[in-house]
Amino acid sequence: MEDMFYQPQIIWTWWIATYLFLGGLGAAAVIISCASNIYIKEHKELVLWGNLSAFAMLSIGSLVLFIHLLDHIAVIHVLNPLGLLTSPESWIMWGTQFILWMMISSMIYTLPYMQESTFWRKIPIIGMILGKFGWLGRLSLKFHKLIGWLAIITAAGTVLYTGLLLQSFPSVALWNNPSVPLLFTASAFSTALAFLLIVLYVFINREEDHALRTFYERTDVILIAVELLIVFLFFQYTTYGQESARASAAILWDDMGWLVGFIGFGLIVPFLIEFRGVTKGWNNAVPIVLAAIMVLCGGYLLRHYFLLAGVYERPYPAVNIIHHSEAEQVKLDDLTLS
Amino acid sequence: MANKHYAMVIDLNTCVGCNACMAACAIENQTPVWKNEWRTYVHDTEIGDRDDQVRRRFFPRLCNHCDNPACMTVCPTGATHKLDNGIVLVNDERCMGCRACAMACPYDARYDVTYADIEEGTNFYGSLQRKHPSVDKCSFCAHLVAKGEKPACVKTCVGSARLFGDLNNPNDEVAKIVASGVAKSLLPHVGTRGNVYYISDLERTS
Repeated sequence: MEDMFYQPQIIWTWWIATYLFLGGLGAAAVIISCASNIYIKEHKELVLWGNLSAFAMLSIGSLVLFIHLLDHIAVIHVLNPLGLLTSPESWIMWGTQFILWMMISSMIYTLPYMQESTFWRKIPIIGMILGKFGWLGRLSLKFHKLIGWLAIITAAGTVLYTGLLLQSFPSVALWNNPSVPLLFTASAFSTALAFLLIVLYVFINREEDHALRTFYERTDVILIAVELLIVFLFFQYTTYGQESARASAAILWDDMGWLVGFIGFGLIVPFLIEFRGVTKGWNNAVPIVLAAIMVLCGGYLLRHYFLLAGVYERPYPAVNIIHHSEAEQVKLDDLTLS
Repeated sequence: MANKHYAMVIDLNTCVGCNACMAACAIENQTPVWKNEWRTYVHDTEIGDRDDQVRRRFFPRLCNHCDNPACMTVCPTGATHKLDNGIVLVNDERCMGCRACAMACPYDARYDVTYADIEEGTNFYGSLQRKHPSVDKCSFCAHLVAKGEKPACVKTCVGSARLFGDLNNPNDEVAKIVASGVAKSLLPHVGTRGNVYYISDLERTS
Protein backbone atom coordinates (compact mmCIF):
# COMPACT_ATOMS: atom_id res chain seq x y z
CA MET A 1 0.00 0.00 0.00
CA GLU A 2 2.82 2.38 0.78
CA ASP A 3 6.51 2.73 1.58
CA MET A 4 7.83 0.57 4.35
CA PHE A 5 9.99 1.74 7.22
CA TYR A 6 12.98 -0.21 8.51
CA GLN A 7 14.10 0.57 12.04
CA PRO A 8 16.37 -1.32 14.45
CA GLN A 9 14.73 -2.30 17.71
CA ILE A 10 15.82 -0.41 20.82
CA ILE A 11 13.75 -2.24 23.44
CA TRP A 12 16.05 -5.15 24.27
CA THR A 13 19.66 -3.96 24.40
CA TRP A 14 22.84 -4.89 26.29
CA TRP A 15 20.99 -6.27 29.30
CA ILE A 16 19.22 -8.94 27.28
CA ALA A 17 22.51 -9.63 25.41
CA THR A 18 24.13 -10.16 28.83
CA TYR A 19 21.27 -12.44 29.91
CA LEU A 20 21.44 -14.51 26.72
CA PHE A 21 25.25 -14.72 26.88
CA LEU A 22 25.45 -15.76 30.53
CA GLY A 23 22.44 -18.07 30.15
CA GLY A 24 23.91 -19.94 27.19
CA LEU A 25 27.43 -20.03 28.65
CA GLY A 26 26.31 -21.17 32.10
CA ALA A 27 23.89 -23.82 30.86
CA ALA A 28 26.42 -25.29 28.42
CA ALA A 29 29.02 -25.31 31.21
CA VAL A 30 26.63 -27.43 33.32
CA ILE A 31 26.14 -29.88 30.44
CA ILE A 32 29.87 -30.22 29.74
CA SER A 33 31.00 -30.51 33.35
CA CYS A 34 28.26 -32.99 34.34
CA ALA A 35 28.64 -35.10 31.17
CA SER A 36 32.44 -35.12 31.56
CA ASN A 37 32.09 -36.20 35.17
CA ILE A 38 29.63 -38.99 34.30
CA TYR A 39 31.08 -40.34 31.06
CA ILE A 40 34.72 -39.24 30.64
CA LYS A 41 36.31 -39.23 34.09
CA GLU A 42 35.23 -38.36 37.59
CA HIS A 43 36.36 -34.77 38.09
CA LYS A 44 34.99 -33.16 41.23
CA GLU A 45 36.89 -29.89 40.79
CA LEU A 46 35.55 -29.47 37.27
CA VAL A 47 31.98 -30.01 38.49
CA LEU A 48 32.52 -27.55 41.34
CA TRP A 49 33.95 -24.91 39.03
CA GLY A 50 31.53 -25.53 36.17
CA ASN A 51 28.28 -25.81 38.10
CA LEU A 52 28.97 -23.14 40.71
CA SER A 53 30.14 -20.69 38.04
CA ALA A 54 27.03 -21.52 36.03
CA PHE A 55 24.88 -20.85 39.08
CA ALA A 56 26.56 -17.46 39.49
CA MET A 57 26.20 -16.64 35.78
CA LEU A 58 22.52 -17.59 35.65
CA SER A 59 21.90 -15.64 38.85
CA ILE A 60 23.53 -12.51 37.42
CA GLY A 61 21.78 -12.91 34.05
CA SER A 62 18.38 -13.47 35.66
CA LEU A 63 18.95 -10.55 38.04
CA VAL A 64 19.74 -8.23 35.13
CA LEU A 65 16.50 -9.31 33.46
CA PHE A 66 14.51 -9.06 36.68
CA ILE A 67 15.71 -5.52 37.35
CA HIS A 68 14.39 -4.43 33.96
CA LEU A 69 10.87 -5.82 34.49
CA LEU A 70 8.04 -3.32 34.94
CA ASP A 71 6.30 -5.26 37.72
CA HIS A 72 8.61 -7.38 39.86
CA ILE A 73 5.80 -8.97 41.85
CA ALA A 74 4.09 -10.38 38.74
CA VAL A 75 7.19 -12.49 38.06
CA ILE A 76 5.57 -15.08 40.34
CA HIS A 77 3.37 -16.11 37.39
CA VAL A 78 6.39 -17.17 35.35
CA LEU A 79 8.07 -18.97 38.27
CA ASN A 80 4.99 -21.16 38.75
CA PRO A 81 5.53 -24.41 36.73
CA LEU A 82 1.77 -24.64 36.15
CA GLY A 83 2.22 -21.65 33.85
CA LEU A 84 3.48 -24.13 31.26
CA LEU A 85 -0.13 -25.31 30.97
CA THR A 86 -1.51 -21.83 30.34
CA SER A 87 1.37 -20.41 28.25
CA PRO A 88 2.88 -23.46 26.49
CA GLU A 89 3.78 -21.43 23.39
CA SER A 90 5.93 -18.92 25.26
CA TRP A 91 9.64 -19.60 25.18
CA ILE A 92 10.23 -17.22 28.09
CA MET A 93 7.92 -19.43 30.17
CA TRP A 94 9.84 -22.57 29.14
CA GLY A 95 13.19 -20.81 29.54
CA THR A 96 12.40 -19.63 33.05
CA GLN A 97 11.42 -23.15 34.08
CA PHE A 98 14.51 -24.66 32.42
CA ILE A 99 16.75 -22.14 34.20
CA LEU A 100 15.03 -22.65 37.54
CA TRP A 101 15.22 -26.45 37.51
CA MET A 102 18.69 -26.44 35.98
CA MET A 103 19.99 -24.26 38.81
CA ILE A 104 18.32 -26.48 41.42
CA SER A 105 19.36 -29.82 39.93
CA SER A 106 22.94 -28.74 39.15
CA MET A 107 23.35 -27.45 42.70
CA ILE A 108 22.01 -30.72 44.15
CA TYR A 109 24.40 -32.60 41.86
CA THR A 110 27.31 -30.46 43.12
CA LEU A 111 26.29 -30.55 46.79
CA PRO A 112 28.12 -33.76 47.84
CA TYR A 113 31.37 -32.42 46.33
CA MET A 114 30.95 -29.16 48.25
CA GLN A 115 30.34 -31.09 51.45
CA GLU A 116 33.54 -33.11 50.88
CA SER A 117 35.59 -29.97 50.26
CA THR A 118 37.32 -28.38 53.26
CA PHE A 119 37.44 -25.08 51.38
CA TRP A 120 33.64 -24.80 51.19
CA ARG A 121 33.04 -26.22 54.67
CA LYS A 122 35.31 -23.54 56.17
CA ILE A 123 33.35 -20.62 54.73
CA PRO A 124 31.20 -19.39 57.68
CA ILE A 125 27.58 -19.30 56.46
CA ILE A 126 28.00 -21.69 53.53
CA GLY A 127 29.69 -24.26 55.78
CA MET A 128 26.75 -24.13 58.17
CA ILE A 129 24.24 -24.54 55.30
CA LEU A 130 26.22 -27.47 53.90
CA GLY A 131 26.10 -29.11 57.30
CA LYS A 132 22.33 -28.72 57.55
CA PHE A 133 21.81 -30.27 54.13
CA GLY A 134 23.85 -33.41 54.74
CA TRP A 135 20.75 -35.53 54.04
CA LEU A 136 20.35 -33.91 50.64
CA GLY A 137 24.00 -34.61 49.81
CA ARG A 138 23.55 -38.30 50.69
CA LEU A 139 20.36 -38.43 48.63
CA SER A 140 22.18 -36.75 45.74
CA LEU A 141 24.96 -39.35 45.83
CA LYS A 142 22.39 -42.14 45.80
CA PHE A 143 20.81 -40.83 42.59
CA HIS A 144 23.82 -38.92 41.31
CA LYS A 145 23.69 -39.98 37.65
CA LEU A 146 19.94 -39.37 37.46
CA ILE A 147 20.27 -35.89 38.97
CA GLY A 148 23.19 -35.21 36.62
CA TRP A 149 21.00 -36.08 33.68
CA LEU A 150 18.20 -33.88 35.01
CA ALA A 151 20.70 -31.01 35.12
CA ILE A 152 21.93 -31.84 31.60
CA ILE A 153 18.42 -31.97 30.11
CA THR A 154 17.21 -28.74 31.72
CA ALA A 155 20.50 -27.05 30.78
CA ALA A 156 20.06 -28.21 27.17
CA GLY A 157 16.61 -26.60 27.24
CA THR A 158 18.17 -23.39 28.53
CA VAL A 159 20.81 -23.35 25.79
CA LEU A 160 18.21 -23.90 23.08
CA TYR A 161 15.84 -21.35 24.62
CA THR A 162 18.31 -18.48 24.25
CA GLY A 163 18.10 -18.84 20.47
CA LEU A 164 14.45 -19.82 20.26
CA LEU A 165 13.51 -16.68 22.18
CA LEU A 166 14.76 -14.48 19.34
CA GLN A 167 13.37 -16.82 16.70
CA SER A 168 9.87 -16.32 18.11
CA PHE A 169 9.64 -12.69 16.94
CA PRO A 170 8.10 -12.89 13.45
CA SER A 171 8.67 -9.41 12.08
CA VAL A 172 12.48 -9.40 12.25
CA ALA A 173 13.95 -11.42 9.41
CA LEU A 174 17.37 -11.67 11.07
CA TRP A 175 15.86 -13.47 14.06
CA ASN A 176 12.87 -15.32 12.69
CA ASN A 177 14.72 -18.26 11.16
CA PRO A 178 15.96 -21.64 12.44
CA SER A 179 19.64 -20.74 12.07
CA VAL A 180 19.46 -18.48 15.13
CA PRO A 181 19.02 -21.29 17.70
CA LEU A 182 21.72 -23.29 15.90
CA LEU A 183 24.19 -20.39 16.00
CA PHE A 184 23.40 -19.55 19.61
CA THR A 185 23.69 -23.22 20.63
CA ALA A 186 27.06 -23.64 18.90
CA SER A 187 28.22 -20.39 20.49
CA ALA A 188 26.98 -21.42 23.95
CA PHE A 189 28.95 -24.68 23.86
CA SER A 190 32.01 -22.98 22.39
CA THR A 191 32.04 -20.29 25.09
CA ALA A 192 31.45 -22.91 27.80
CA LEU A 193 34.37 -25.00 26.53
CA ALA A 194 36.49 -21.85 26.46
CA PHE A 195 35.51 -21.05 30.04
CA LEU A 196 36.24 -24.60 31.23
CA LEU A 197 39.59 -24.58 29.39
CA ILE A 198 40.55 -21.46 31.35
CA VAL A 199 39.46 -23.26 34.54
CA LEU A 200 41.46 -26.38 33.65
CA TYR A 201 44.61 -24.50 32.61
CA VAL A 202 44.64 -21.66 35.13
CA PHE A 203 42.77 -22.74 38.28
CA ILE A 204 42.94 -26.55 38.40
CA ASN A 205 46.12 -27.01 36.34
CA ARG A 206 46.71 -30.77 36.69
CA GLU A 207 48.88 -32.74 34.25
CA GLU A 208 46.45 -35.67 34.41
CA ASP A 209 43.81 -33.48 32.73
CA HIS A 210 45.84 -33.23 29.53
CA ALA A 211 43.58 -35.63 27.61
CA LEU A 212 40.42 -33.82 28.78
CA ARG A 213 41.86 -30.42 27.80
CA THR A 214 42.84 -31.74 24.38
CA PHE A 215 39.34 -33.14 23.91
CA TYR A 216 37.82 -29.77 24.82
CA GLU A 217 40.16 -27.94 22.45
CA ARG A 218 39.31 -30.27 19.55
CA THR A 219 35.60 -29.93 20.21
CA ASP A 220 35.91 -26.16 20.41
CA VAL A 221 37.74 -26.03 17.06
CA ILE A 222 34.85 -27.93 15.47
CA LEU A 223 32.25 -25.69 17.13
CA ILE A 224 34.00 -22.50 15.99
CA ALA A 225 34.12 -23.91 12.46
CA VAL A 226 30.37 -24.60 12.66
CA GLU A 227 29.81 -21.04 13.89
CA LEU A 228 31.82 -19.64 10.98
CA LEU A 229 29.74 -21.72 8.58
CA ILE A 230 26.45 -20.45 10.07
CA VAL A 231 27.75 -16.87 10.05
CA PHE A 232 28.52 -17.29 6.33
CA LEU A 233 24.94 -18.53 5.83
CA PHE A 234 23.71 -15.41 7.61
CA PHE A 235 25.88 -13.28 5.32
CA GLN A 236 24.15 -14.81 2.31
CA TYR A 237 20.70 -14.65 3.88
CA THR A 238 20.93 -11.03 4.97
CA THR A 239 22.78 -9.67 1.95
CA TYR A 240 20.54 -11.24 -0.70
CA GLY A 241 17.37 -11.77 1.35
CA GLN A 242 14.24 -9.80 2.08
CA GLU A 243 14.34 -6.07 2.80
CA SER A 244 14.35 -6.34 6.59
CA ALA A 245 17.28 -8.78 6.39
CA ARG A 246 19.13 -6.40 4.05
CA ALA A 247 18.64 -3.60 6.56
CA SER A 248 20.22 -5.89 9.19
CA ALA A 249 23.06 -6.62 6.75
CA ALA A 250 23.66 -2.90 6.37
CA ILE A 251 24.23 -2.72 10.13
CA LEU A 252 26.22 -5.93 10.66
CA TRP A 253 28.53 -6.06 7.69
CA ASP A 254 29.54 -2.43 8.00
CA ASP A 255 30.44 -2.54 11.68
CA MET A 256 33.98 -3.18 12.88
CA GLY A 257 32.67 -4.54 16.18
CA TRP A 258 30.91 -7.35 14.31
CA LEU A 259 33.50 -7.90 11.59
CA VAL A 260 36.75 -7.49 13.52
CA GLY A 261 35.47 -8.00 17.08
CA PHE A 262 33.19 -11.00 16.68
CA ILE A 263 34.22 -12.68 13.42
CA GLY A 264 37.91 -11.71 13.53
CA PHE A 265 38.96 -11.95 17.17
CA GLY A 266 35.93 -13.92 18.42
CA LEU A 267 36.06 -16.72 15.84
CA ILE A 268 38.88 -16.74 13.26
CA VAL A 269 41.87 -15.92 15.49
CA PRO A 270 40.91 -18.37 18.29
CA PHE A 271 40.12 -20.99 15.63
CA LEU A 272 43.65 -20.65 14.20
CA ILE A 273 45.26 -20.70 17.66
CA GLU A 274 43.30 -23.76 18.79
CA PHE A 275 43.76 -25.50 15.42
CA ARG A 276 47.50 -25.07 15.75
CA GLY A 277 47.18 -26.41 19.31
CA VAL A 278 45.42 -29.61 18.29
CA THR A 279 47.65 -30.25 15.24
CA LYS A 280 51.13 -29.22 16.37
CA GLY A 281 50.66 -28.26 20.01
CA TRP A 282 51.85 -25.28 22.04
CA ASN A 283 54.76 -25.14 24.48
CA ASN A 284 52.63 -23.51 27.14
CA ALA A 285 49.02 -22.73 28.01
CA VAL A 286 49.13 -19.02 27.22
CA PRO A 287 47.90 -19.18 23.58
CA ILE A 288 44.96 -21.45 24.48
CA VAL A 289 43.94 -19.29 27.43
CA LEU A 290 44.22 -16.21 25.22
CA ALA A 291 42.07 -17.90 22.55
CA ALA A 292 39.52 -18.88 25.21
CA ILE A 293 39.24 -15.29 26.43
CA MET A 294 38.69 -14.15 22.83
CA VAL A 295 35.97 -16.79 22.36
CA LEU A 296 34.22 -15.53 25.50
CA CYS A 297 34.35 -11.90 24.31
CA GLY A 298 33.11 -13.04 20.88
CA GLY A 299 30.19 -14.86 22.51
CA TYR A 300 28.95 -11.65 24.07
CA LEU A 301 29.52 -9.63 20.89
CA LEU A 302 27.48 -12.12 18.86
CA ARG A 303 24.43 -11.58 21.05
CA HIS A 304 25.02 -7.84 21.37
CA TYR A 305 25.11 -7.34 17.60
CA PHE A 306 22.23 -9.72 16.94
CA LEU A 307 20.01 -7.59 19.15
CA LEU A 308 21.42 -4.36 17.74
CA ALA A 309 20.80 -5.42 14.14
CA GLY A 310 17.23 -6.68 14.62
CA VAL A 311 15.37 -4.49 12.11
CA TYR A 312 11.58 -4.20 12.03
CA GLU A 313 9.62 -3.72 8.85
CA ARG A 314 6.60 -1.48 9.37
CA PRO A 315 4.20 0.52 7.21
CA TYR A 316 4.86 3.54 9.43
CA PRO A 317 7.66 4.70 11.73
CA ALA A 318 7.63 3.53 15.32
CA VAL A 319 6.28 6.05 17.78
CA ASN A 320 5.84 4.09 20.95
CA ILE A 321 9.49 3.16 21.22
CA ILE A 322 10.97 6.27 19.62
CA HIS A 323 9.91 9.80 20.44
CA HIS A 324 7.62 11.11 17.74
CA SER A 325 9.77 13.89 16.34
CA GLU A 326 12.73 11.53 16.13
CA ALA A 327 10.58 8.89 14.43
CA GLU A 328 9.39 11.24 11.73
CA GLN A 329 12.98 12.30 11.15
CA VAL A 330 14.11 8.67 10.93
CA LYS A 331 11.43 8.12 8.29
CA LEU A 332 13.23 10.38 5.82
CA ASP A 333 16.42 8.35 6.13
CA ASP A 334 14.62 5.03 6.07
CA LEU A 335 12.74 5.77 2.87
CA THR A 336 15.94 5.14 0.98
CA LEU A 337 15.65 1.48 1.94
CA SER A 338 12.17 1.04 0.51
CA MET B 1 -24.76 -18.75 16.94
CA ALA B 2 -21.22 -17.96 15.79
CA ASN B 3 -19.03 -15.72 17.95
CA LYS B 4 -18.54 -12.19 16.88
CA HIS B 5 -15.30 -11.37 15.08
CA TYR B 6 -14.62 -7.70 15.57
CA ALA B 7 -12.62 -5.72 13.02
CA MET B 8 -11.99 -2.14 12.06
CA VAL B 9 -11.89 -0.55 8.62
CA ILE B 10 -9.99 2.71 8.20
CA ASP B 11 -10.67 4.72 5.06
CA LEU B 12 -7.57 6.79 4.32
CA ASN B 13 -9.61 8.85 1.84
CA THR B 14 -11.70 10.42 4.59
CA CYS B 15 -9.23 10.79 7.46
CA VAL B 16 -8.64 14.55 7.79
CA GLY B 17 -5.93 14.27 10.45
CA CYS B 18 -7.84 16.08 13.19
CA ASN B 19 -6.44 13.67 15.80
CA ALA B 20 -9.77 13.58 17.62
CA CYS B 21 -9.44 9.78 17.75
CA MET B 22 -6.17 10.14 19.65
CA ALA B 23 -7.73 12.53 22.13
CA ALA B 24 -10.88 10.41 22.61
CA CYS B 25 -8.81 7.27 23.12
CA ALA B 26 -6.47 8.97 25.55
CA ILE B 27 -9.35 10.22 27.70
CA GLU B 28 -11.32 6.98 27.52
CA ASN B 29 -8.34 4.73 28.28
CA GLN B 30 -6.15 7.10 30.30
CA THR B 31 -3.04 6.57 28.22
CA PRO B 32 0.33 8.14 29.11
CA VAL B 33 0.13 11.04 26.66
CA TRP B 34 2.62 13.08 28.70
CA LYS B 35 5.37 10.87 27.34
CA ASN B 36 3.86 10.80 23.83
CA GLU B 37 2.70 7.18 23.95
CA TRP B 38 -0.66 6.31 22.47
CA ARG B 39 -2.98 3.39 21.89
CA THR B 40 -3.87 4.95 18.55
CA TYR B 41 -1.81 7.45 16.61
CA VAL B 42 -2.28 9.37 13.35
CA HIS B 43 0.83 9.72 11.20
CA ASP B 44 1.07 12.89 9.16
CA THR B 45 3.16 12.03 6.10
CA GLU B 46 3.98 13.30 2.64
CA ILE B 47 3.98 10.95 -0.32
CA GLY B 48 5.74 11.65 -3.60
CA ASP B 49 8.95 13.44 -4.48
CA ARG B 50 7.81 15.89 -7.18
CA ASP B 51 6.10 19.17 -6.31
CA ASP B 52 3.13 18.46 -8.52
CA GLN B 53 2.72 14.94 -7.16
CA VAL B 54 3.31 15.42 -3.46
CA ARG B 55 0.25 14.63 -1.37
CA ARG B 56 -0.39 14.62 2.33
CA ARG B 57 -1.64 11.50 4.00
CA PHE B 58 -3.00 10.90 7.47
CA PHE B 59 -2.45 7.32 8.53
CA PRO B 60 -4.22 6.20 11.73
CA ARG B 61 -2.78 3.13 13.39
CA LEU B 62 -3.54 1.00 16.45
CA CYS B 63 -3.31 -2.60 17.66
CA ASN B 64 -4.47 -4.87 14.85
CA HIS B 65 -6.14 -7.43 17.16
CA CYS B 66 -4.61 -10.19 15.10
CA ASP B 67 -6.18 -13.60 14.52
CA ASN B 68 -2.69 -14.96 15.13
CA PRO B 69 -1.28 -12.50 17.68
CA ALA B 70 2.50 -12.79 18.03
CA CYS B 71 2.33 -10.79 21.26
CA MET B 72 0.09 -13.43 22.84
CA THR B 73 2.25 -16.34 21.69
CA VAL B 74 5.37 -14.96 23.36
CA CYS B 75 3.68 -13.71 26.56
CA PRO B 76 5.06 -15.87 29.40
CA THR B 77 2.48 -15.03 32.06
CA GLY B 78 -0.70 -15.25 29.99
CA ALA B 79 -1.31 -11.54 30.55
CA THR B 80 -1.95 -11.03 26.85
CA HIS B 81 -5.04 -13.00 25.97
CA LYS B 82 -7.72 -13.13 23.32
CA LEU B 83 -11.47 -12.96 23.81
CA ASP B 84 -13.83 -15.16 21.82
CA ASN B 85 -14.86 -12.07 19.86
CA GLY B 86 -11.30 -11.59 18.59
CA ILE B 87 -10.29 -8.69 20.83
CA VAL B 88 -6.76 -9.07 22.23
CA LEU B 89 -6.42 -7.73 25.77
CA VAL B 90 -3.74 -7.28 28.43
CA ASN B 91 -4.42 -8.28 32.01
CA ASP B 92 -2.23 -5.77 33.84
CA GLU B 93 -2.35 -7.81 37.05
CA ARG B 94 -0.54 -10.69 35.33
CA CYS B 95 1.85 -8.63 33.18
CA MET B 96 5.41 -8.57 34.53
CA GLY B 97 6.61 -6.16 31.84
CA CYS B 98 9.28 -8.23 30.10
CA ARG B 99 8.38 -6.46 26.81
CA ALA B 100 8.51 -9.66 24.75
CA CYS B 101 5.12 -8.60 23.33
CA ALA B 102 6.56 -5.26 22.23
CA MET B 103 9.39 -7.17 20.54
CA ALA B 104 6.97 -9.55 18.81
CA CYS B 105 4.42 -6.99 17.62
CA PRO B 106 5.00 -5.98 13.99
CA TYR B 107 2.72 -2.95 14.39
CA ASP B 108 4.51 -1.08 17.21
CA ALA B 109 1.29 -1.25 19.18
CA ARG B 110 2.84 -1.73 22.63
CA TYR B 111 4.16 0.80 25.12
CA ASP B 112 5.32 0.75 28.73
CA VAL B 113 3.12 1.90 31.59
CA THR B 114 5.36 2.09 34.64
CA TYR B 115 4.68 2.76 38.31
CA ALA B 116 5.86 6.32 37.65
CA ASP B 117 3.25 6.60 34.88
CA ILE B 118 0.53 5.41 37.27
CA GLU B 119 1.52 8.17 39.66
CA GLU B 120 1.70 10.74 36.86
CA GLY B 121 -1.59 9.48 35.41
CA THR B 122 -3.36 9.84 38.74
CA ASN B 123 -2.39 13.52 38.78
CA PHE B 124 -3.12 13.99 35.08
CA TYR B 125 -6.55 12.32 34.91
CA GLY B 126 -7.68 12.91 38.50
CA SER B 127 -8.10 9.22 39.20
CA LEU B 128 -6.75 6.20 37.38
CA GLN B 129 -8.49 2.89 36.67
CA ARG B 130 -5.32 0.82 36.55
CA LYS B 131 -3.29 -0.16 39.60
CA HIS B 132 -0.50 -2.17 37.98
CA PRO B 133 2.16 -1.40 35.37
CA SER B 134 2.06 -3.33 32.11
CA VAL B 135 3.06 -3.26 28.46
CA ASP B 136 -0.20 -1.69 27.35
CA LYS B 137 -2.07 -1.60 24.04
CA CYS B 138 -5.40 -0.76 22.39
CA SER B 139 -8.32 -2.86 23.62
CA PHE B 140 -10.79 -1.91 20.86
CA CYS B 141 -12.48 -0.30 23.91
CA ALA B 142 -13.70 -3.77 24.92
CA HIS B 143 -15.51 -2.28 27.91
CA LEU B 144 -17.62 -0.10 25.56
CA VAL B 145 -18.10 -2.88 23.00
CA ALA B 146 -19.42 -5.14 25.78
CA LYS B 147 -22.16 -2.55 26.32
CA GLY B 148 -23.03 -2.50 22.63
CA GLU B 149 -21.14 0.72 21.93
CA LYS B 150 -18.38 1.46 19.42
CA PRO B 151 -14.75 2.14 20.41
CA ALA B 152 -14.09 5.75 21.45
CA CYS B 153 -11.98 6.49 18.36
CA VAL B 154 -14.79 5.32 16.06
CA LYS B 155 -17.48 7.28 17.89
CA THR B 156 -15.50 10.51 17.67
CA CYS B 157 -14.23 10.27 14.08
CA VAL B 158 -15.58 13.34 12.22
CA GLY B 159 -14.80 11.98 8.76
CA SER B 160 -16.28 8.54 9.45
CA ALA B 161 -12.87 7.21 8.48
CA ARG B 162 -13.09 4.52 11.14
CA LEU B 163 -15.73 1.83 10.94
CA PHE B 164 -16.11 -0.93 13.51
CA GLY B 165 -18.09 -4.10 13.05
CA ASP B 166 -18.44 -7.86 13.06
CA LEU B 167 -16.82 -9.88 10.28
CA ASN B 168 -19.05 -12.85 11.11
CA ASN B 169 -22.18 -10.85 10.30
CA PRO B 170 -22.53 -10.76 6.48
CA ASN B 171 -24.92 -7.79 6.73
CA ASP B 172 -22.44 -5.69 8.71
CA GLU B 173 -20.96 -2.79 6.71
CA VAL B 174 -17.44 -3.67 7.84
CA ALA B 175 -17.87 -7.31 6.79
CA LYS B 176 -19.11 -6.19 3.38
CA ILE B 177 -16.17 -3.85 2.80
CA VAL B 178 -13.62 -6.47 3.86
CA ALA B 179 -15.33 -9.14 1.74
CA SER B 180 -15.24 -6.81 -1.28
CA GLY B 181 -11.44 -6.79 -1.12
CA VAL B 182 -11.20 -2.99 -1.22
CA ALA B 183 -9.81 -2.90 2.31
CA LYS B 184 -6.48 -4.62 3.03
CA SER B 185 -4.81 -5.62 6.29
CA LEU B 186 -1.22 -4.57 7.01
CA LEU B 187 1.83 -6.81 6.65
CA PRO B 188 -0.07 -9.90 5.43
CA HIS B 189 3.23 -11.71 4.75
CA VAL B 190 4.12 -11.72 8.48
CA GLY B 191 1.23 -14.09 9.17
CA THR B 192 -0.32 -12.28 12.12
CA ARG B 193 -3.62 -11.75 10.23
CA GLY B 194 -4.53 -8.36 11.60
CA ASN B 195 -8.15 -7.25 11.91
CA VAL B 196 -7.59 -3.58 11.07
CA TYR B 197 -8.17 -3.04 7.35
CA TYR B 198 -7.22 0.02 5.30
CA ILE B 199 -8.88 1.48 2.22
CA SER B 200 -6.02 3.08 0.30
CA ASP B 201 -6.19 6.72 -0.74
CA LEU B 202 -3.72 6.21 -3.57
CA GLU B 203 -5.48 3.78 -5.87
CA ARG B 204 -8.51 6.02 -6.39
CA THR B 205 -6.58 9.13 -7.31
CA SER B 206 -3.55 7.84 -9.20
